[in-house]
Amino acid sequence: MKKYTHYSTYIYWAMGLFLAIFLAQCGLKAISVVVPKSAKANQRVTFTMQCGAEPRIQGGGNYSTQLVAGIMVPKGWNARKNLTMSFSSPKGNGTMRIIPDSELEPVSGLSWHQAAKKMFGIGPNLVDDMEWIVFRSTQAYSFVNNEDIDFTVKAECNVGAENMLVSLGFYIGSSIENLRPEDTDYKKFTFSDAFEVTDGEGDLIDFINPQLGTVQPVKSLDNDIITLAFDGGVTNTVLDHEPAIYLHVKAMDESGKLIAEIKKQTEDTKLRDIGGKKYLIDIWPRGFFKVGKDVHIARLEYFYTDITGTKSVGYGNTDEPFKYTFRCE
Amino acid sequence: MKTHKILSWPLMLGLCWAINSCKDELGNIPTKEIEKDITGNWKVTQLTRNGENLSKRLKLDNFKIDFKADGTYSIADDLPFVVSGSGKYRLDDPQYPFSVVLSPAAGKDEVVLKFQFPVVNGKRQLSLVMSLGCSSNTYQYDCERLNGGI
Repeated sequence: MKKYTHYSTYIYWAMGLFLAIFLAQCGLKAISVVVPKSAKANQRVTFTMQCGAEPRIQGGGNYSTQLVAGIMVPKGWNARKNLTMSFSSPKGNGTMRIIPDSELEPVSGLSWHQAAKKMFGIGPNLVDDMEWIVFRSTQAYSFVNNEDIDFTVKAECNVGAENMLVSLGFYIGSSIENLRPEDTDYKKFTFSDAFEVTDGEGDLIDFINPQLGTVQPVKSLDNDIITLAFDGGVTNTVLDHEPAIYLHVKAMDESGKLIAEIKKQTEDTKLRDIGGKKYLIDIWPRGFFKVGKDVHIARLEYFYTDITGTKSVGYGNTDEPFKYTFRCE
Repeated sequence: MKTHKILSWPLMLGLCWAINSCKDELGNIPTKEIEKDITGNWKVTQLTRNGENLSKRLKLDNFKIDFKADGTYSIADDLPFVVSGSGKYRLDDPQYPFSVVLSPAAGKDEVVLKFQFPVVNGKRQLSLVMSLGCSSNTYQYDCERLNGGI
């Protein structure tokens, strides 16, 4: 009996060693993606990932796994509802299914989607309103040594209704390898160049470029308390050496008619210096503009100015105003 | 040893009697909860938006809410709130309230505001949680009575 226990220990060791050698010598090729430059709001778009497998199995044998692929898109696209993925390869073509939230990625203990977000982040995007969605092939595929293949994964989804400029994320992996932090062979990921959604609702949401002017919360109504921020560190502006920055703002109704304009440089319109050439001001628009009960502010147009009001900075450091539309969805 | 055992029996009986009598006494203490009283002029001392503390950035001086004894309320003009102006209010349950129900005077729909009523640093605090605009934005107002009463 003792002899058998001894043998089984050897077998486990041998399996472990085999796996270790195998892990060190096999892998996926770098991933490349084909992403269109732009698409119209709500349009269905195909994103293509090209990758390859290079099995180097020490001493021969088989390696059997399912293909895993993920994509990172803005939450506002609701891609979980309409994203589909399929792949084509010399070993056959097939569709992929979303990995259920209840199934945890073993290394992180999180769902695969959360694990991918934790592992790959949001890439070059500056605003975190993104989600990773991870799919898996329905079948497993076996590889023998040196059976190098190239394969293509296509992800198709609707791009949402909002105008935006965003970098998308892509991931390809192997189901049996999970998302081990130290592994560089079985998880390949990349982020796309800027992808723009046009002809949609609202002002352009720029996820990529540092913004001279931002508004928090991203979604709000005129009865919310909003924070307008000016980041003078983004680029050189006429306000560079000004000791104080002020807000010049107009409130418009649904039809674009002017409700009120505040352009006096007072304590109420002065931005708070928070260091690092950043300034902010918190306003409650209904109170700030003292609008009547039945008046609703639909959007704001604003500039940042010096104390005299003569030097002003607008959207993208131009004469055009920054614009903010009040909306919840 | 045996003597000890024998002696311990009456002792145990005595103890049981004592505990039982205590229980009776406790049972006689009235446990009726006092009605919660939120009347008073309240001043906002802390304001958070989606967990971010805005208290030091906003002028809170005029952020006041008055819950009057006659069942009416008034909101200061400067205070961003879920309703404006004045109206009537009531608690959803006078003894165990979770919400204050506001009926704006203008005949608009009732607004139900969740609140907590803890004692903080010896002072009664009224904490109101609400969305002012989009439901995705949550605000918490922590208030203290203006005249220092608890």
